[in-house]
Amino acid sequence: MSTPDHPASMAAVALVVLATVLVGGFGLRISRTTSDFYVASRTVRPRLNAAAISGEYLSAASFLGIAGLVLVHGPDMLWYPVGYTAGYLVLLVFVAAPLRRSGAYTLPDFAEGRLESRQVRRLVSVFVVGAGWVYLVPQLQGAGLTLTILTGAPGWAGDVLVASVVVLAVAAGGMRSITFVQVFQYWLKLTALLVPAIFLVLAWQSDGAPRVSFDDQVSAFRADHPLYATYGLIVATFLGTMGLPHVVVRFYTSPNGRDARRTTVAVLALIGLFYLLPPVYGALGRLYAPELIHDGDADAAVLLLPARMIGGLGGDLLGALIAGGAFAAFLSTASGLTMAVAGVLTQDVLPSRGVRHFRLATVLAIAVPLGGSLLVGRVPVADAVGMAFAVSASSFCPLLVLGIWWRRLTPPGAIAGLLLGGGSALLSVAITVSGAVRPPGWPHALLAWPAVWSVPVGFLAMILVSLATPGRVPPGTNAAMSRFHLPEALTSGRAR
Amino acid sequence: MSHESTPRREVVTGEPRRVRPLPRYRPQAEIDEQTALGGAYVRSLMRSQLRAGLTAFAVLALVAGTLPLVFEALHSNAVVWAVLGFATYPPLALAAWWYVRRAERNERDFARLVEGRPAP
Amino acid sequence: MTGAGVAVVTVLAALLLGTGFLLGRAARPQRTSDVGTPVEHATFETLHTASLAAPPLRAGLTEESARRSARRLRSLLGTDALCLTDRDRVLVWDGEGDHHGREVMDHVRGLLDSGRDTAFRTDCGDLDCPLRWAVAVPLTVDHRVLGTLVAWAPRESAVLARAAGEVARWVCVQLELAELDRSRTQLIEAEIKALRAQISPHFIFNSLAAIASFVRTDPERARELLLEFADFTRYSFRRHGEFTTLADELHSIDQYLALVRARFGARLSVTLQVAPEVLPVALPFLCLQPLVENAVKHGLEGAVRTSRITISALDAGAEAEVVIEDDGIGMEPERLRKILRGEGGTSTGIGLLNVDERLRQVYGDAYGLVIETGVGAGMRITLRLPKYRAGVHGS
Repeated sequence: MSTPDHPASMAAVALVVLATVLVGGFGLRISRTTSDFYVASRTVRPRLNAAAISGEYLSAASFLGIAGLVLVHGPDMLWYPVGYTAGYLVLLVFVAAPLRRSGAYTLPDFAEGRLESRQVRRLVSVFVVGAGWVYLVPQLQGAGLTLTILTGAPGWAGDVLVASVVVLAVAAGGMRSITFVQVFQYWLKLTALLVPAIFLVLAWQSDGAPRVSFDDQVSAFRADHPLYATYGLIVATFLGTMGLPHVVVRFYTSPNGRDARRTTVAVLALIGLFYLLPPVYGALGRLYAPELIHDGDADAAVLLLPARMIGGLGGDLLGALIAGGAFAAFLSTASGLTMAVAGVLTQDVLPSRGVRHFRLATVLAIAVPLGGSLLVGRVPVADAVGMAFAVSASSFCPLLVLGIWWRRLTPPGAIAGLLLGGGSALLSVAITVSGAVRPPGWPHALLAWPAVWSVPVGFLAMILVSLATPGRVPPGTNAAMSRFHLPEALTSGRAR
Repeated sequence: MSHESTPRREVVTGEPRRVRPLPRYRPQAEIDEQTALGGAYVRSLMRSQLRAGLTAFAVLALVAGTLPLVFEALHSNAVVWAVLGFATYPPLALAAWWYVRRAERNERDFARLVEGRPAP
Repeated sequence: MTGAGVAVVTVLAALLLGTGFLLGRAARPQRTSDVGTPVEHATFETLHTASLAAPPLRAGLTEESARRSARRLRSLLGTDALCLTDRDRVLVWDGEGDHHGREVMDHVRGLLDSGRDTAFRTDCGDLDCPLRWAVAVPLTVDHRVLGTLVAWAPRESAVLARAAGEVARWVCVQLELAELDRSRTQLIEAEIKALRAQISPHFIFNSLAAIASFVRTDPERARELLLEFADFTRYSFRRHGEFTTLADELHSIDQYLALVRARFGARLSVTLQVAPEVLPVALPFLCLQPLVENAVKHGLEGAVRTSRITISALDAGAEAEVVIEDDGIGMEPERLRKILRGEGGTSTGIGLLNVDERLRQVYGDAYGLVIETGVGAGMRITLRLPKYRAGVHGS
C-alpha cells in the first residue's frame, strides 16, 4: 500500500478502543440517593435501544464493504444495504413482538420454549455458533485490512488487535453494560462517515463536479449470473436479519412486545439514515481511487478518499475520523457477536456454569474465528457477511416464522428444516470459502448465493416433516402461542 | 464496594438440596390459557396480526422481486444508484410505521373485545 | 440470463404463495373435537372402583398401600398386569407374568429422572406369557418423581397409554393429598416462614410509626410515605404469579428503602448500579427484598455510624449477576451455614434460607446464594439469575 502512515489515525483508533472500554465499564446507571433510584432502574426506551441495536448491527461490511463493492461492481451492490435494512421490516412484521413476548434471550431459548425439546435446542445452538463464527471472520479480516492501510502493519495485526480488545473488554468484566457502548458506537459511526462525506462532496464540487461513470464493468465473478446473485442476496438479507444472534439478544432489553416493535421501526430509520452515505463513497471512489478496482483492496476506498481528495492536515484528520469509525464498526459488531456466541457456549456447550465460564467462553468464541480469519484467504467483507445471512435465512428464519405463526410445527420438523436448509447453506458457504468450486459457472453461483434454494428447502422440510409427525406437536403449543401474541397488558391482568 | 473488610470474609453457600425441578410448562400454562382467554380469542388476534404482516411483506416482496428485472431492462447505472442508494429507505420506514400502527390497533381492538365479553 | 431470471422469480413467487397459504391455514381455527359422554353405569362403576382405591393411597406410596390399591387400579385400567414401583424397587405386582418384575426397574430408570411417560416392548421368550408391551407413567408430587405406575398389555395400545396416564394422575392427586396430610403442620410453619420472609411485622410497625412522626411536622412527606407504604405492601401481598421482573423488584426495593430512610435518615447510604439490559429478567417474586432488608438490618445494628449498602445488577451474558453488599456487623460463617441448613431461628435467617431454597428450586442447585461474610466484616450476597428458563415468565 502506497499510503504513508497517519499518526492521527492511530490516535483515533486508540481513542475509540479506550472510549469503548470506558463506556463499557462505567456505562451503568448509578444512583446514590433514593430519589434517582427509580430513574436508574427504568427499562430502556425504544429509541435508546434502537441506537444500540443499530450500533451493533452496522458492521465493517456496512462501513467499508459496501462502498468497496459499489466501487468494483457498480451500483447493483447497493442491494446489500437495502437488504440489511429491509431485513428489519421482515423482522418487524413476523418476529419482533412475539419473540420478545416469548421471554427468550437467545435463539436456543426460543427453540426450547416453543418446541419443548432439548434436541432442537442443541441443534439451534450449533447453528448460532456457526453463523456467529462465519460472521466474525470478515469483521476480523476487515480490521486487519484497516490497520495495514493505516500503519503498514502486517495483515494479521488488526485481526489480533480487535480480538484482544474484545476479549479484554468482555472477559475482564469490562462490558458490564453493553447498551451504552453500542449507542455510543452508532453515533460515532454515523459521524465518522457523515462529516467526511460532507467535506468530500464539497471537494468534488470545487473540482468541477465531474460525472461518475459506472460503465466499465469489472466484476469478473459476478458478471457470470448477476441476476441470480442479486436475488440470492435479496433473499438472504431480507430473511437473514431476524436470526442474527447479536440482533436477537438485544431485543431482550425491550421491556415488552410493543416496545420491541417500536424499537424495530427506530432501528430501521437509524440504519436507513446511515446507509445513505456508503453510495456516496462508492461513487467518489470511482472517480478518485479507480486503481483499487483492480488491486483487490477495494474495501480500503473509504479510508483512502480523504487523503486523495483533500490531502494535508484536513485530509489526515478526516481520515483519522473514518479510521476511528471503522474500528468502532469492527469492535461493536465483533463484541456483540462474541457475547452472543459466548452466551450460547456457556449455556449449551461448556459443561459447568458460572460467570467465570462466561469469560472462558468469550475467549473460545473469538479464538476460533480469529484462527479462521488468519487461515482462510480474504473474501470481500460484504460477500462474507452475505454468507452469514444466507445461513441465518435458511435455518433461523423458517424456525422463527413457523414457530411463531404455525401451531403444527413439531420438533422433528424443526430438526429436518434446520439440517436441510441451514445445513446445506452452511456447506455451500464452506465450499465457496475453501475455493473448491471456482467461477464462472452455475455451480459456483449456486453455492456462493445459496439462499434462493436453501430457504425454500428449509421451509419445505420443516413443514412437510411436521405434517408427517402430527403426534409430536408439543403439548404447550397453545399456551406458547397465547404468550407470543397476547399483549402484556392482558396476560398480566388476567391472573389478578 | 467496601475494601476494608474483604480479608476476613469467608464464602458460605447452602448445601445442595438435590431438587431436580421438572419442566413446569405443560399443565399450568395450558389451564391458564384455556380458562382465562380461550384459544378462539388468541387465534382471532393471530389472524389479524398475520394479515397485517403478510400485507406489508407482500408489498415488499413484490417490489424487491420486480426491481432487479426493471433495472435489467433499463440498463442505467445512474438510476440504480439513485433508487437503491437513496429512494428505497423512506418507503421502507413508512411501511414499518404503517405496520406498527396497524398492529397496535389490532391489539387495542382485541383488548376491547376481550374485556367486553360476557363472563365465562 | 433472462431465462434464469424468470426461473428465479417463479421460484420466489411459489415460495411466497406456499408460505402464505400455509400460514393462512395455520391461523384458521382448529375444529374442536367432541368429547363424547361415557355410558352412565360405566361411569358409576369406575367412580366406585376409584373410591375404593383411594383410602390406601392416602397413606402415601408404601409397599402396604401399593398392595392394597393395585388390584383396584388394575381393574380401573382393565389390563392384564400392573405394577407400582418407588424410586428403587417394585412395590407390588398385580396380575399375570410377574416374572417381568425383574426387568421393570431397568426400563423405568430413565423416566425417574426425566418425568416423562415411556412405553417399551418386552419379550420374555415364554410363549404363554401374554405380556408384550408396557406403558410406564411417573407418579409425581411437587415436581418430584416418587415412583412409577406400569401397565402391561399383549400389544401396543394408545388407549391404554392414555388411560394409564389418567390413572397415574389420579394416583398423584391422592399421593399429593397424602403428602399434605402428613406435613400439614410443616406446611403451616413453612407458610409462616414465607410470610415472615416477605414482610416483617416489625417493619410494618416501624414504618407506620415513622410516618406518624411526620404527620404533624411534615404532612406532605407523611402523605408521600404513606403512598409508598401502600404501594410496597400491595406488591408484597400480591397473590398472583410466582415470578416478577427485576425492574419491578427493584422498584419495590426503592419503596422499601424510602420507608427505612424515613426512620434512619442519613445513617443509611445506598448505591445502586444497574445495567439496564438485565431489567427485564424474570425472577421468583420477592427474592431480593429480603436480602436488602437483611443488609439494612446488619448495617444499622451495632455502632452509630453511616451504613453503606451497594446493590448492583450486572449483565453477564446469558445470566444477570445481582450483588447486595453491606459493611455492617456481618455474621459468624458457621452460624450462617446452620441457617442455610435450616437449623437457625432468627427472622433474618429465615429470609436468607427462603430465598436460597426458592432459587435452587427454580433454577437448580447451581444457582443458590453465594454469601461472603465474617464477624464484623460486612456481608456480600451474590445471586445469579439466568435470563431465560423455560416456565419462568415475569408478569
